[in-house]
Amino acid sequence: MLSMKNISKVFKTDLVETHALRDFNLEVSEGEFVAVTGPSGSGKTTFLNIAGLLEGFTHGDYFLDGINVSNLSDNKSAAVRNEKIGFIFQGFNLIPDLNLAENIEVPLRYRGFSAKERNRRVEQALEQVGLAARMKHLPTQLSGGQQQRVAIARALAGEPRFLLADEPTGNLDSLMARQVMELLENINQAGTTIIMVTHDPELARRAQRNIQIVDGQVCDFTMYQANAARSASHGSVDKLVANAQG
Amino acid sequence: MLHIKPIFSSLLHSKSGPLLLLLQIVLSVAIVANASFIIVERLSLMARESGIVENEVFDFSIYHFDKSTDLVVQDKRDLELLRAIPGVIDVAPSSMAPLSGGGWSSNFTLGPEERAKSTPNTGMYMSDEHFIDSLGLKLVEGRNFYPQEITTELLEDGGKMIVTKAFVDKVWPNDSALGKSVYMGAQHFVVIGVVERLQTAWVDNSNVEFSSVLSVNYPADYKRYLVRAKASDIARLKEVIPEILHKEYPSRVIEGFTTISERRIEAYRDHELMATVLTMMVVLLLLITSLGVTGMVMFNIQRRTKQIGTRRALGAKKRDIISYFLVENYLLCLLGGTLGVLLAIQLGQQLMSLYSLPMLALSYPLLTVVGLFVVTTLAVYLPARKAAKISPATATRTV
Repeated sequence: MLSMKNISKVFKTDLVETHALRDFNLEVSEGEFVAVTGPSGSGKTTFLNIAGLLEGFTHGDYFLDGINVSNLSDNKSAAVRNEKIGFIFQGFNLIPDLNLAENIEVPLRYRGFSAKERNRRVEQALEQVGLAARMKHLPTQLSGGQQQRVAIARALAGEPRFLLADEPTGNLDSLMARQVMELLENINQAGTTIIMVTHDPELARRAQRNIQIVDGQVCDFTMYQANAARSASHGSVDKLVANAQG
Repeated sequence: MLHIKPIFSSLLHSKSGPLLLLLQIVLSVAIVANASFIIVERLSLMARESGIVENEVFDFSIYHFDKSTDLVVQDKRDLELLRAIPGVIDVAPSSMAPLSGGGWSSNFTLGPEERAKSTPNTGMYMSDEHFIDSLGLKLVEGRNFYPQEITTELLEDGGKMIVTKAFVDKVWPNDSALGKSVYMGAQHFVVIGVVERLQTAWVDNSNVEFSSVLSVNYPADYKRYLVRAKASDIARLKEVIPEILHKEYPSRVIEGFTTISERRIEAYRDHELMATVLTMMVVLLLLITSLGVTGMVMFNIQRRTKQIGTRRALGAKKRDIISYFLVENYLLCLLGGTLGVLLAIQLGQQLMSLYSLPMLALSYPLLTVVGLFVVTTLAVYLPARKAAKISPATATRTV
């Protein structure tokens, strides 16, 4: 489904080079629910951007759904994003001037679907997230949890091969977060692959597999857990990270 | 692909900015359309031909202040002297100078009785058989005056007249003018020739094309002459003529050497000024409108940076972003343009009734709207292209 081999991402300025990802390797199988965690600045967002074809990378190979997407043109990248990837953002990223139906229609219009097909998909997606009755409402008329459900509906409407969720519950209270998480689990159970970047260890535990990114590399999770247990007695996060890298 | 409905929906939700721009577009279309119409009207007036070889003809005046002068004899002598000057092609006396803004005009009647049908007000040149050649007029029907037909006063009968084709078309449409009689009070004139074109002294008058030349070289202490010469000789002749004429008879003032080209410039100075001011206004208005559009687009890009990134993340190609901003502004143009056309027509009607302007042709507001679309495209494209370069990764950043 998703295969990243020796991916590196280097940000260069005149003075410094920052290695956001280094020799990053990851395989995600179809139907998996993978949680990606890691401390701030570890490279989670860079990973998410690269996985979602939102930005390019410096070295390595990336295969998505069997296609090498390492060197796609801007237009091809946009088409692949539109067709194969559903995005769920921490801040929902709904367009405030458009009602729910129009928001969900946005990626469908870029795909070139007919009005009839768009309507069918919008209704289906809103039903899936339990907001079919509010399709003419504006995002500002909804609660945060409802807005995130609309964002999920938007991601689902294009029937993508996998969902990329960036801190999907980061802006929600615990009740709403639980509801959104349950919704994601249901979507995953229906067969959609999900990669979720999160800070929340409790949410991460609910995923089938956890990936820890530390200093731009995938950290061995077993080792990480052992280090975490050890560091708990020392109370040092720095040490935990140092151990994980070591 | 054009996404008109959601763009329109988005515009409706952010009212104030687009509303102000809409108002600007409406006013711009109304003003630019009417201003362009007036400019073209003025330019077409200025482009009319006078029928005269303007760069080869100049006029000057002689003022005799010695009351004992025999004006008929002196005029004859002066004409002989003038025609003998090297470089002079021809010279004619004239009661007025074309395009000068001052002279003679009258209505003629088509019968001897006072209540007979009247011609439009017509410019009256009183001259001799040299008039046509001196001005370079084109005789299209009939003949020139014979020397023996030139009188020094208005006769009750036997006067000859040459008229312009425009006059003939107005007075005797679909009929030959030759041999026709016209009357000016007791005086009777017979039309013997028709010239293709000869404008009167008054370029702003709607009867400017209605001219007549009467076979009268009347004596006067203030006498005007029209001289034709090669353009390259005119400067020299302006120096030579006063010398020769003063040498012949010093007690007089010789003045006012002006080419018809110079008279044209003077006659149309106000028109030219108005056309220039209105053109500047049109350019300024279009510039302000385009700046308004650009400003609005740039503001929207800044306001919607994350939204643009999100759209890109959701599959928008760069051209989708560019077309989004183009369509958004085209919608404003279309709506503003439609309202602007209506306002332009209304404004045109007001101007028509207030300043006796011709009716505004619909093509002007329509062309203005087309022009506005072009200006909008130029004003939107560059900032929109910049917007299209916003990275899709912006969607995951806190902006």
